[in-house]
Amino acid sequence: MTARKPALIAVDGVAGAAIAAAARAALTSIDRAKRSGISRWDASGVFEELAVAGADAGPPSVRTLLLLYAADLAFRLRWEIRPALADGRSVVAAPYVETAVAFGRAAGIGGAWLANLFQFAPRPTERRFVDGAAGRRGRGRRGFVEFGFEQVPDVMLGATRPELVERMTAHLRGRARRC
Amino acid sequence: MTSLSRWRRRAREHFTDGSRRRGLLVAFEGADGSGKTTQRKLFKTWLKAEGYDVVTTKWNSSELIKPIIKSRKDVRALSPEEFSLLHGADFRHRVEHVILPALWAGKVVVADRFLFTGLARDVARGLDLDWVLKLYQPLLWPDLVFYFAVSPGTSGKRVLATRTPRFYEAGQDVTNVDDPVESYQRFITRVIREYESLALIFKFITVDAERSIGEQHHQIRQLFREGEQRPWSDWNADAVAEWLATGGGAA
Repeated sequence: MTARKPALIAVDGVAGAAIAAAARAALTSIDRAKRSGISRWDASGVFEELAVAGADAGPPSVRTLLLLYAADLAFRLRWEIRPALADGRSVVAAPYVETAVAFGRAAGIGGAWLANLFQFAPRPTERRFVDGAAGRRGRGRRGFVEFGFEQVPDVMLGATRPELVERMTAHLRGRARRC
Repeated sequence: MTSLSRWRRRAREHFTDGSRRRGLLVAFEGADGSGKTTQRKLFKTWLKAEGYDVVTTKWNSSELIKPIIKSRKDVRALSPEEFSLLHGADFRHRVEHVILPALWAGKVVVADRFLFTGLARDVARGLDLDWVLKLYQPLLWPDLVFYFAVSPGTSGKRVLATRTPRFYEAGQDVTNVDDPVESYQRFITRVIREYESLALIFKFITVDAERSIGEQHHQIRQLFREGEQRPWSDWNADAVAEWLATGGGAA
């Protein structure tokens, strides 16, 4: 693909490694002179800091993680995505909104709350969805979903991990069909 | 989090069970320099003397999120959206780990600032009230909200008597005024205007914070005695149900 106008390409999925691979492929499909780069989750370092917090602080819930994801996305939009687009360059956001929405929906968070949460994020020019289950710890690039599985205790997830992956995959496939 | 209706029922049963003292949530709200922290401390001391089990929670104090916010405030790296979302995360974490467990155990939770602080400040920063309010869903409404009404001039005088306002406290991220004192005066005027609107919408109990400390304290005692008789608000069923469904109240 050769982008004529600067494009925001969103790559969403469950597995961090699959998202990363699809993001690289999306980037190389853009004319070298017109591309910026890949905007990845945790560009702001919020989750890196969260991961080193003491256990005494208590684990985050899915809702808390999603609020942090939105804060990180606001940071990415401010420092990576919008400047690239303003400079006439295309950018790949991997993951973008749908990964977080799928995670929240799978864990029972209402769609209206999620829609409001990400209201500030512009619609991507193009959406790509990747299949594949969340990788095990230490295998491939860890994505937001794998991080969430590590941080949120089973009881707070409200379902088993395979069930959540199944729900997320179904949600994302549904979104892919509608796009 | 499926079958939330079961958890809503359990929440109602627990909080309307007349055989035990139910948890009460009392919020102290107001601009900086309104004297609410002084009143909150006096109130807590009195409650303990009266035999209540009291837990205090302060704004932006979650052990998990506070360090994240602090490091970003230190380098002035927050946009209004990021500021709002991170404070929302801090609040949610405290709701789940401090406030709801204490209420469930029948304690009185005294909140030195509540979600209304987020609303007033974020809207003063130019964000949409509806967007910010929804970030705090499922909403947990206090049994009582004491709003310490003070003029921008008095707030400024009291704050400046002890310190120079910090960057975000002075709203310098949105006023673009270099002088923190001048910026504070402009920003707090906006914040108080938002508080005044919220006080009407959400029916805060307004305390005239220009009165003496003793007068305010006695008024709060009296209002608490009246307010604690109020029935549990069913508006809180969703917030409690979500917490129960994700392992809260298990102990």
